[in-house]
Amino acid sequence: MARRQTKVSPAQRLTGYVILTLLALITVWLFIQQSRFNPAVLVALRAPALKGHVRAGSGAALAATAALLPEVTGFSPLAPVESYNPDTLSNKIDGKAELYLSAGFKEMSCRMYSLTGPEPAHVDVYLYDMGTPQNAYAVFSGQRRPGAPGLSLTANAYGTANALFFTQGKFYVEIVADRASEPVKNALQTYATALLAKLPAPQGEVKSQAAAFPKEGLAADTVRLSAADTFGLEGFNNVLTGEYTLKSGKATAFLAPRHTPEQAKADARRYLDFLAANGYKKIPAPGSPEAVTALDLDNSFEIVFVHGRTLAGVHDATSLAAAQELAAALQTKLKGKP
Amino acid sequence: MKPPPDQEQTPTGDLNRRDFLKRLGYASALAVTAGSLGFALYDLKGPAASKGQKALTGLGNYALKTLASGPGKMAIVRGTDRKVMVEQGIKALGGMEFFIQQGDRVLIKVNAAFATPPALAATTNPELLAAVAALCFKAGAAQVLVTDNPINNPASCFEITGLAQAARTTGARLIPPHAGLFAPVSLPQGRLIQNWPVMAGVFPGVHKVIVISPVKDHQRAGASMTLKNLYGFLGGRRNVFHQDINGIITELSQLLRPTLCILDGTVTMMTNGPTGGSLSDLKETGTLVVATDPVAADAVGVELLGRTLADIPYLRMAEKAGAGTADYLKLQPAMVNTSA
Repeated sequence: MARRQTKVSPAQRLTGYVILTLLALITVWLFIQQSRFNPAVLVALRAPALKGHVRAGSGAALAATAALLPEVTGFSPLAPVESYNPDTLSNKIDGKAELYLSAGFKEMSCRMYSLTGPEPAHVDVYLYDMGTPQNAYAVFSGQRRPGAPGLSLTANAYGTANALFFTQGKFYVEIVADRASEPVKNALQTYATALLAKLPAPQGEVKSQAAAFPKEGLAADTVRLSAADTFGLEGFNNVLTGEYTLKSGKATAFLAPRHTPEQAKADARRYLDFLAANGYKKIPAPGSPEAVTALDLDNSFEIVFVHGRTLAGVHDATSLAAAQELAAALQTKLKGKP
Repeated sequence: MKPPPDQEQTPTGDLNRRDFLKRLGYASALAVTAGSLGFALYDLKGPAASKGQKALTGLGNYALKTLASGPGKMAIVRGTDRKVMVEQGIKALGGMEFFIQQGDRVLIKVNAAFATPPALAATTNPELLAAVAALCFKAGAAQVLVTDNPINNPASCFEITGLAQAARTTGARLIPPHAGLFAPVSLPQGRLIQNWPVMAGVFPGVHKVIVISPVKDHQRAGASMTLKNLYGFLGGRRNVFHQDINGIITELSQLLRPTLCILDGTVTMMTNGPTGGSLSDLKETGTLVVATDPVAADAVGVELLGRTLADIPYLRMAEKAGAGTADYLKLQPAMVNTSA
């Protein structure tokens, strides 16, 4: 059947041409505008809308520590477990990652929870594998909050109003709530106990490091293991420090056990050179053994000596008497040790 | 005789079934072709930095021209209620209308670096953000954008810090980072920021920039305040800059001149920064600084941390580079006490 031709009047044809011309002009205009599109509009239109919920992080694939995080009644996970390795740790704790990396960090898993119950709270749990108990102690002690009471959870554990911090073997753990209350604290303890039950039994646990120092005048919660760059000296690593308040003033004692006496002597020379480069001058220390070197800069006193394979000394004493008193106590403590 | 079904006429007699199906086929093919073409041409990521792309030389100078010749303005506000404090502080400097004009598009840079709740004070306080955004709108801002580049999981960071909710309730628009926003920047005379991806895509069309930062201890930099907050504009593997943290913050001070800096020392993270974690890391220092000079604002923050300028080398370095003055008293700060 022949197709019926539609009759179009001149007016309709003209209208059609006008519409087509307008559409063509709009197309040209759109192309011109697109070529110089305002990026601000681009940003406003294209920014992916945030979803109103929490998502899992984009760390590395789940690490071994991920399997150690327990499921505890009352702790509802807000997101899946996240894991981080030395390459990605700074994505999670940018600005603090170096503290862990310099102490031998291996991997970390963490998880966010909503604590349900009469006292709801947001809780973050971080489980760090630091490789060795010494490394775990280094990050634990390096961040220890002064005055926070110790806990019996493990050999190295303390709590603050809203958080628990402890080591177990090579693991360092932080359990942090966003508020302080007795029910929340009890819930954190419950979580910690469940987590400890899943952690491997400690081998070669670092016992109280405070025992390495003379007792008198020592603030036990100030004992720290500095993993790297102690006192600002690059490469002055694995140094145990403890702060003292003595009758003659305040001072910090330090102990740096090395593999050989030669290594201890070499580190002592390097530290003395570092002090001299920073303006410290050697001073006489009457009554001290010959092997002891005393230095002073603006009434800040240092004493350095080597005992066997241990480099030891006193840092930033407020008086020479305090420095000498503490150095003598340290030497007594080191007697009989290699 | 009845015509075959495919030759049936429409009631009007204009279109039979075959014509209709043909036209439907043509129209569908056209629609599919146009849609496919559009889909093929759609660039999901937007204009990314590419080799050969001309690097920008900075993010811009958003300081008020009227203040260019003077030492700048500053208010130091004491109190506990951030909303009241920022309102009083800005009022002491002439009101938000002095800084924001009718129709301005305002970009607020917050610190949303970590997915931690506001109680831990590791990020910009959401109540403070809400108060500042509201002041901007009240002064006539056409749009308020809020941004930061937390490397890890921005959505969680903005949500858990409460900043997303604060933006939503005030009508501000959150701009989370995505690849299309980053462009290479080479700072003239810059040693570190050379052809480095920076979140420049949020700036075109922006008239004013406000930086809102908490006062925090920082394990590498000594302190994280206004200038350190600008670190959040950097993309890429920016942690490499931690090896020269003072150098990079000094260069950041040259990257951008904000209109206004709001430094929140109502609660200060005194230790274990920048992440903190324990409430015992925090101290109520009851101070909020509103200033046009980021170096001066940070110099006040240093005092709140109980430190000196010698402890935070990048402040003197930024001052020397011309980013402001560390001697904040030169700004003759207005002292406001909201507790009285």
